Amino acid sequence: MKKRHRISIYKESTAGIIFCLPFIIGFLLFLVIPMGISLYYAFCDYGILSPAVFSGLKNFKIMMADELFWKSLQITIFYAVVSVPLKLAFALLVAILFQKTSKATGLYRALYYLPSIIGGSVAVSILWKRMFATDGMVNQILHGLGIEASIPWLGNKNTAIWTLILLTVWQFGSSMLIFLSSLKQIPRTFYEASTVDGAGRWKQFTSITLPLLTPTIFFNLVMQMINGLLAFTQCFIITQGQPLNSTLFYMVHMYNQSFVHYNTGYGAALAWVMILIVGTVTAVLFATKKRWVYDGGF
Amino acid sequence: MKRKALALVLTAAITGSLLGGCSTAEEQTRTTDTEDTAAVKTDLQKEVVKSGSSDDIKLSVFWWGRQLRNEKTQQILDMYAAEHPGITFDGQFSADYWTRLATLSAGHTMPDVVQMDYTYISQYAEKGLLTDLTPYIEDGTIDVSNVSEDILETGRVGDGIYAICNGINAPALLYNKTLLDEAGIQIHDYMTLEEFKDVCREVYEKTGYKTSLSYGSNTNGDFLPYLLRAQGKLLYGDGKFAVDSADDFVQFFSVFEDGIKEGWHVDPSLYVERTRGQAEQDCLVYGSSPETMSWCGFYHSNQLVAMQNSAPEGTDIAMTTFPSDNPEISNYLKPSQFFSISTDSKYPDEAAALIDYITNSEECNNVLLGERGVPISSVISEAISVNQSPDEQEVVHYINDVVTPKSTKINPPAPGNASEVFSLIDSLTEKVLYGELTAEEAAALLFEQGNEYLAKE
Repeated sequence: MKKRHRISIYKESTAGIIFCLPFIIGFLLFLVIPMGISLYYAFCDYGILSPAVFSGLKNFKIMMADELFWKSLQITIFYAVVSVPLKLAFALLVAILFQKTSKATGLYRALYYLPSIIGGSVAVSILWKRMFATDGMVNQILHGLGIEASIPWLGNKNTAIWTLILLTVWQFGSSMLIFLSSLKQIPRTFYEASTVDGAGRWKQFTSITLPLLTPTIFFNLVMQMINGLLAFTQCFIITQGQPLNSTLFYMVHMYNQSFVHYNTGYGAALAWVMILIVGTVTAVLFATKKRWVYDGGF
Repeated sequence: MKRKALALVLTAAITGSLLGGCSTAEEQTRTTDTEDTAAVKTDLQKEVVKSGSSDDIKLSVFWWGRQLRNEKTQQILDMYAAEHPGITFDGQFSADYWTRLATLSAGHTMPDVVQMDYTYISQYAEKGLLTDLTPYIEDGTIDVSNVSEDILETGRVGDGIYAICNGINAPALLYNKTLLDEAGIQIHDYMTLEEFKDVCREVYEKTGYKTSLSYGSNTNGDFLPYLLRAQGKLLYGDGKFAVDSADDFVQFFSVFEDGIKEGWHVDPSLYVERTRGQAEQDCLVYGSSPETMSWCGFYHSNQLVAMQNSAPEGTDIAMTTFPSDNPEISNYLKPSQFFSISTDSKYPDEAAALIDYITNSEECNNVLLGERGVPISSVISEAISVNQSPDEQEVVHYINDVVTPKSTKINPPAPGNASEVFSLIDSLTEKVLYGELTAEEAAALLFEQGNEYLAKE
């Protein structure tokens, strides 16, 4: 009797394992194994066309002397640090505006979410490139407003990065949805009680809404920071790092090294340094969590 | 219980198919030279083909190019397949060609027939990724009896011929003839650099049109060696530049510097807004005002047709030689591109027959009509000329009557590790155009950093 019971448990777990297998196999084949291989390549001289040769720390020494490594790292961090808070602030603002429900709210939410669905795509990047061209739409709108402008937004090293930041901020939809759902969870009674106590809307926002949203802000901040550091498409399609490498994202530098110059071992090393940076940034954010994130109940 | 069993069977089936799919891919990408695995691989591939339709031989052909070339190439492949029952094609083209080809080669799944470029041929041949075509040339599978020895030799790396050129090309300065005619400006072939700069100034003064030099057409890698050839110098030596000092690079950068200082070079910010080297987006044919347009572009002769097609109606695009101190020595005939057979190919014989068809079939070349360059077989080049448009004939005339009589032999291909040098030349040129570097500073940086890149193994 006892034995039979054990066999049936065994069978249950077998079924579970089999159900998980497709995912596990995919995870191993397409994530873990390639990552392992890339870790190995990071310590190799490897140029795709011929087999990898182990070369120790050489790639990392090259990296320390690589001007573009430092420059692209600096640009990417600037881009992430500027665009993420802007994006979150914008997402929060719009989420608060949409809190009041009317008949059109659903439509507006969908419309504002749209850029997030299409925003990372190649098509939007090409559209952006055209909009910010010297003879593009942005300058024409400025012209229509009576401002005589033929500004080469993309061709100027001081403005080019901002067009990319703007594209990112524009894609605030997914953060907005997350904010919306947590805004709805804040009990209305808090606001009613505070109104009785004489709090104005701004006071309510800073003393009730914002503190209770901190877990969501934290989540959004971590996710968007990671996305920001790994940004690729915008730069690759719109500017290719030009002008004067002022928009060269780290990931594009890695791509160029790996697949244009065939320094694939060096590219793998760049990738692993970025993994360490992303890990560190996330760890630092988590370390500050205690200081500002409210994790009590309502 | 029954339901559970069914679920088990279903998941097992899904898992199995997933595993099966993966293992097939694994088998094909595994790299071994033992005969057994090679046989397994071939069987697998044949099976894959079989499951498609009958036991046809399926040749994959891979090329890069614009829409026109894609259509024409697909058309000749269809024609060949119709003539040769049992052979089918998987034609693929890619904009990101070299990235894809490199990754395919890493997986040992390179297509049977690949388009090759003079810049990359030594790299691929030296790494053993291309089949030596000498046996096919000797046994007549690829008939080269009407091809000049010089052209055939451009496909040589070491002891073998690894590629057959499929069109002859030469550097060509494409220019807006209508504009110059209207302004009453005369130019002639074999202009010197000083004469060329005078034309740039005159055009700017009279019409407001500016000039876009080789950076804008993505041909810096051709123009710099072209200038050096006039001094009898090569660009690349063995593991370093062939020139003795940075001074030899100053002339190249100073053309850009003068252009910016004197105002006749287009604003470099234009280049960020476009894809450099794309005919449709070139300042020669596209722009909103004379200020954003160029009277000329540094291209190659076979691009005349594409450029003319991109030009506004009523604008005639013509061509002449690149300028240098001595264009008659600088100029050269160039293989516009090649076809090679990869060592991954299971059907090299059939692939060689296809290359012969492209080289020697009149019917085939009546479709291609020299889009890749003037056909290398003199017989074919002659035969198709009646069907060519005036622009296509202009290209043939340029190759045969302008370049061929007054040119010298092409430089050896750039070394395999030169791609970082190309990028370096571009980024330094960009800095000169933005006024961040003088010509002398750029030349010094190129000499120093370029030598470092070339010294790398």
